[in-house]
Amino acid sequence: MLFFGLKQLYLFLMKKRHEQKLIVLAIVLVATFNIPLILLFDSQQSIWGFPAVYFYVFSIWLSSILISYFILKRHYE
Amino acid sequence: MSSLSLFVIIILYLGILFFLAFIAEKRATSKWVNNPYIYTLSLAVYCSAWTYYGSVGVAATTGISFLAIYLGPVIAAPFWILILRKIIRISKQHKISSIADFISLRYGNNRLLGALITIVCVLGTVPYIALQLKAISETFEIMTHSVSIEKTKVFSDYTIYIALLIAVFATFFGTQKTDASEKHKGIVASVAFESIIKLLFFLIVGIYVTFFLFGGTEDIYNQISSSANITEITTMNGFENGFNWFFTILLSFFAIFLLPRQFQVSVVENNREKHLKKAIWLFPLYLLLFNLFVVFIAWGGLITFGNSNNSEYFTLLLPLQHGNYFLASLVFIGGFSAVISMVVVSTLALSTMVSNNLIIPYGFLDKFSRNQNDKNARYIKGIRRVSIFVIIIASYYFYFYFSVPLSLYSIGLVSFVIISQLAPSFFLGLFWNRGSSKGAIFGLIVGFLVTLYTLVIPVSISAFTNSDYFVNQGLFGINFLKPYSLFGLDFLSPHAHATFWSLFFNGITLAVISLSGKGNYRERNYAEMFIDTRNYSKLGDSALVWKGEAYVADIKNVLTKFLGLARTERALSLFFRKYDLPPDTQMADARLINFSEKLLTGSIGSASSKILIANVVKEEEISLVEVLQILDESKEALASNKALNEKTNELTQLTSELQSANQELIFQYKQKDEFLDTVAHELKTPLTSIKASAEILQDDFDEMPAELRNKFMGNIEQEVDRLSRLVNHILDIEKLEHNRAKLILKPTNMLNTIEKVTRNLSQLAKEKNILFEIEDVSSVIALYDEDRIIQVLTNLVSNSIKFSDKPKGKISFSFSQKEDILEVYIEDNSKGIPENDKNHVFDKFYQSENQNTLKPSGSGLGLAISKQIVQKHGGEIWLEKTNNEGSIFVFSLPFN
Repeated sequence: MLFFGLKQLYLFLMKKRHEQKLIVLAIVLVATFNIPLILLFDSQQSIWGFPAVYFYVFSIWLSSILISYFILKRHYE
Repeated sequence: MSSLSLFVIIILYLGILFFLAFIAEKRATSKWVNNPYIYTLSLAVYCSAWTYYGSVGVAATTGISFLAIYLGPVIAAPFWILILRKIIRISKQHKISSIADFISLRYGNNRLLGALITIVCVLGTVPYIALQLKAISETFEIMTHSVSIEKTKVFSDYTIYIALLIAVFATFFGTQKTDASEKHKGIVASVAFESIIKLLFFLIVGIYVTFFLFGGTEDIYNQISSSANITEITTMNGFENGFNWFFTILLSFFAIFLLPRQFQVSVVENNREKHLKKAIWLFPLYLLLFNLFVVFIAWGGLITFGNSNNSEYFTLLLPLQHGNYFLASLVFIGGFSAVISMVVVSTLALSTMVSNNLIIPYGFLDKFSRNQNDKNARYIKGIRRVSIFVIIIASYYFYFYFSVPLSLYSIGLVSFVIISQLAPSFFLGLFWNRGSSKGAIFGLIVGFLVTLYTLVIPVSISAFTNSDYFVNQGLFGINFLKPYSLFGLDFLSPHAHATFWSLFFNGITLAVISLSGKGNYRERNYAEMFIDTRNYSKLGDSALVWKGEAYVADIKNVLTKFLGLARTERALSLFFRKYDLPPDTQMADARLINFSEKLLTGSIGSASSKILIANVVKEEEISLVEVLQILDESKEALASNKALNEKTNELTQLTSELQSANQELIFQYKQKDEFLDTVAHELKTPLTSIKASAEILQDDFDEMPAELRNKFMGNIEQEVDRLSRLVNHILDIEKLEHNRAKLILKPTNMLNTIEKVTRNLSQLAKEKNILFEIEDVSSVIALYDEDRIIQVLTNLVSNSIKFSDKPKGKISFSFSQKEDILEVYIEDNSKGIPENDKNHVFDKFYQSENQNTLKPSGSGLGLAISKQIVQKHGGEIWLEKTNNEGSIFVFSLPFN
């Protein structure tokens, strides 16, 4: 019974912790998508035909998808 | 392409949608309709014609800023785990059917706030729908006329028909039930389908332009690099634009929560909370795919057409320019899909708000409380249907008279700024418990007025009169009242500027007014419910504090008017059962009041339901302090109740364990008793016999003939043998039962063991003319204690010999080896075992009734011992079959 209670508590805390990972991800996105950080990549160069700033935004975008996918997959399924 | 054939394509496509929605509605519980992918795709209603055509236009003229519209949702998605889940929980619990309901409920079911939000939403959405109609009309013209078109004011008849058809669709699938918080599976399924279509066709045209018209992404980039305004469209373009960029992201972040259509699909139509978890990563992926080729289409268009003022329709113009009419039609259908889904969901959401938060609470309550149920239901549906048509027709007129000179992008942004005025009351309301309805109302009004002044009015004036006077000179020529640079803030773009000032004044007003007065107890009650969802959802209907006098009969009367008698009675009986109240309860308590308000909310909105219920009950004022105290107490009670419940469960479990242990003991005690009884009885029989024989011998020893004497002596010897065998068996079975017997397990060949047994018993068998047969196998190796298994086999075989009655007896042994179990079959052709003995042959001291005539040589323990031995090996022994022809005994042994 005691063991059961501890396990529940553990699961509960785990859940909360992984929710917080997503929140941190969102806050990081706010920072990386905006000035001043975005201006660091604002140049005339291009990668695969994408201007640098587009390439930067799309890469952050894609990584945020992958990160949230793995956070959710590992801890909710 | 002729306009008629294009119109036919549109009608066919609408037919498919009707069919699809109809099927989905019919199979509302099917997995095809209820899954996280449908949910995610329905969220993509966010991508309207604005995305489909507008993004390319922006990418071609001002550059990267179109992306900001999608970055807000990308940032919002991870937050959903916290915010959207909370909103969904609250909405499900309170049967909320729109954003107006949601916000007004948070501020104590405030009727005025709900109505204001509705008005703001209508004002923000009608231009947005108009933008969609504009896109249809213009793409229709491009498809049917020539490639180079001038924006004309020619009235295209088709647009109004298409708009009306969309209205019919929304009406048909959106207003079947009076309870607007019920799901609209048909509409959601069609939106999901359209989301696939629009993305797919947009990707196809993107790939076509990038890789077929041009030589890939780098080729397009190299060609555009030589153009004049390359810096403008490929970079952020300076620090000031960084601020505009930030405010656009902020606007889209708010929009993904606040747009009536987004609230509809993400909250009201949400089936399961867990669908959210897939949407959190899948929805940003959808948006990413949608945006991947935008710049290349835009640049491809610029390279092909130069700086055209038709850049919004490059997607359509490029395939047309190259004579690819089929692809152009696909693009048109994709754009059309984007339009239909947006218009249908928006009008559905708006019609619910208009009926439940504006028309019903302000005009129909008196009427409703006099009418009967079916009449009320007809009225409610009627109001919603009329609203859908009025909204679409209003949008059409807006498009026709006002929106022509404006680009899709600028209309969309104005809508976003208007809708974002709900943000302070919405987000602060979710996390700050002192926000008051008065603050929310004034904040909303102030924010809306600032938006009007800084954005809507100057945009309209310059669009229709071409006069820049107001923008350049400000109101009454006062410099710091210039609408695009209020108080001298002159480096932001008009929409960023309007966003900043309107949200600033809106938020400040909300905060200052909320803090300047003591809160209202009812508002605070709802605030606590919204903020501390986890605890309050557990409290259920007791989460609302209410004091006063109310009769169940009165409340039932009100409910019946909207739900009908049958549904009302079912709901009430459920309620009484849930809270363990007698079904004939007279006085209503807070829980019933709360429960009834919720029941009505879906049909007539939260404000109206509160007013209707309040009309039939007598409420007492309570102070805020008292409310908070009661809430704290019930939360504490809930917590201690939970702990108590856990303890109780633990005790119950222990008790039942004890009980079963006790029963087991009693059973064993009885068994022991019976065993002792039987043993005493069994011992007594031979002893009596011995004693009798001994007495006879003692009395008449001398006179007795030697022959008879020997017979008595033999008798004594025989009985002593039997006695000692019995004692040995009893000791044996005791040992086995109490695990004192150790098995010596060795891998042994069963054939050898059987050989030994048959050799031992060969004399007995010969006497009864019995033959042994052993299945012809090379070896049967198993792990067992050979002496013990010999005991088992001997018991079984000697039983068979004993009961053999045929002239030619036969006992055969066969084996079957399954996975890890060896089964040994012993089959004979004896007379079989009587029906009522079958189940007891393995019981201790069980001896067949019809062998009593001849007291058997057995102790009655043989099979019981055999059973113990086999079970100790981890196997089973059973009687497979028995009849006049013979019996089959089987025992099994595991290999390891």
